Amino acid sequence: MATPAATRRRPVVTPRVVLISLAMALLVLVILVPFWWIANMSFKSYQQIQFATSIYIPNPFTLENYTGLWNATGFPVWFRNSIVTATAVTLITLVISALSAYAIARIRFPGRAAMASTVLILYLVPPALMFIPLYRLLNTLGATDSLAALVLAYPTFTVPFCTWLLIGFFKTTPMELEEAALVDGATRWQAFTRIILPLVIPGLAASAIFAFTLSWNEFLYALVMIQDESAMTVPVGLNLLIYGDVFDWGRLMSASVITTLPVVILYMFVVRWMVQGLTAGAVKG
Amino acid sequence: MATTETFGLSKPTAVPAMRRRFGLHRDARTAYLFLTPLFVLVLGLILYPFLQAVRLSFTDKMVGYPERFVGFQNYAYLLESDTFRRVIQNTAIFTIGSVGLKLITGVATALVLSSVTFWRGFFRGLSLLPWITSTVIIALTWRWMFDAFPGRGFFNSVLLDMGVLKSPIGFMGSPEGAMMAVIIANWWRGFPFFGISVLAALQAVPREYYEAASVDGATGWRRFWDITVPSIRHVLIITTLLSTIWTMNDFNIVYVMTRGGPGIATHVFATFSYDTAFNQLRWGRGVAVSILLVPVLVLIIIVLSRYLLREEDK
Repeated sequence: MATPAATRRRPVVTPRVVLISLAMALLVLVILVPFWWIANMSFKSYQQIQFATSIYIPNPFTLENYTGLWNATGFPVWFRNSIVTATAVTLITLVISALSAYAIARIRFPGRAAMASTVLILYLVPPALMFIPLYRLLNTLGATDSLAALVLAYPTFTVPFCTWLLIGFFKTTPMELEEAALVDGATRWQAFTRIILPLVIPGLAASAIFAFTLSWNEFLYALVMIQDESAMTVPVGLNLLIYGDVFDWGRLMSASVITTLPVVILYMFVVRWMVQGLTAGAVKG
Repeated sequence: MATTETFGLSKPTAVPAMRRRFGLHRDARTAYLFLTPLFVLVLGLILYPFLQAVRLSFTDKMVGYPERFVGFQNYAYLLESDTFRRVIQNTAIFTIGSVGLKLITGVATALVLSSVTFWRGFFRGLSLLPWITSTVIIALTWRWMFDAFPGRGFFNSVLLDMGVLKSPIGFMGSPEGAMMAVIIANWWRGFPFFGISVLAALQAVPREYYEAASVDGATGWRRFWDITVPSIRHVLIITTLLSTIWTMNDFNIVYVMTRGGPGIATHVFATFSYDTAFNQLRWGRGVAVSILLVPVLVLIIIVLSRYLLREEDK
């Protein structure tokens, strides 16, 4: 058996290396096959799909699903609605979460521990429990069938999560800088905005991405609150492309590709922060 | 170590004893001011609707009719109905099957990711992909992967093309096939979360432990059970409990893939609650369905918050 040091110096093909490579290949396959299948189908014509003429790669390539999706369905409107909703929710979430997390992590006050537990418990309350009562409340307020309903509903799950995440970040920033500022006569607000917030930018970025993605992908609240096609977000709109048992597969898959890309691109830049955020906030290593 | 420093324990400074102990200022008024938006959100959009839901579950509210108080009638009806019993059973199978798979493959993923010596960032980012993709899109994709039509369904296309199958399998048409399909879709979405969380825990295990064990002649299998498992136990418990809550309450995957069908073979709590409230228009009963899951939720949340808050104190 080679010691780790020896393996590093002189890479040899040991059974262990073979095993790891095979496992890695399997993992990559398991993850990529469904994505490949979506992309593959999105570039096939109806006939190619129906008669299984080109299974593994579309031959010939066609963009008809994409043009059809963009011109003949409500997709552009749904896409815009998703962007507007997710952006508004992200901004609201950042403000509320940053303020709350700062107070809980940095100030002593009666009920502090209780607040921390409350935030955690709220993060664990599933939307499946809240969708009927929230629908009824927002319906009474006349907010359903507009993006306002979603902008009000989504912070109920994004804020607890991002607050929880940010508490972790605030706790790991050094106290001394802030203390010095306070001693020098800065107000709490100044210390918060000028000293502490710039230090937790990675946390804010992670929170923003989480809030954006959670809103971008949300389905249940949007399904019950929006009936009007012009106010639908992408996940709900996609269900309009399913007529009973008939699925408009080519267009559905091209919509999936377009919807997934922005999130994937967003993540490519911040994978490191993501992993850090996940492990620092949700699950500490 | 980092946390200790944050709390000002390690560095003696000139600040008063109380402040040095916590490193925090007493400033209740500012704290409450900062927390006001959160209070408004919690009271108005979470607590109030939830209490309304509890009240509603004791009425026979139907859309278009005034509500009447009926006591525990909705609960009694549900607990005696065969359909609801089937929903409980489905939810249990779905949750246990899916979380079990995620746990095993998640640990495997973490072990593989931690052993790979090149392109680490790339592989890590790649394995997070399913977790960031919209569940509706994942559900549509897997619905299609399992489609009975060759040329549409991945499994049927490939297996027929390779000559493994003689005729296509209608996965989604049978109760067992549909249940398997929704479990796989949910598993695929969830295992990266396990993988990445466990990976972080693995990396916190000191190298010397493994080296010492190797010197002592411990085999890989022994090292896994004696060093790895105890070190990642905490994270395993936390991720498993979190995933159990999410899976138990899944709506998107089941709704998009099967609508609870065929028949009621894949109806779980959330889809059944939705169906009762929005298709049968029985609000009181629909709410009662989701409230019946609350005791289980509370139990998990209590255990989980102990673990998470303890982690927080470390």
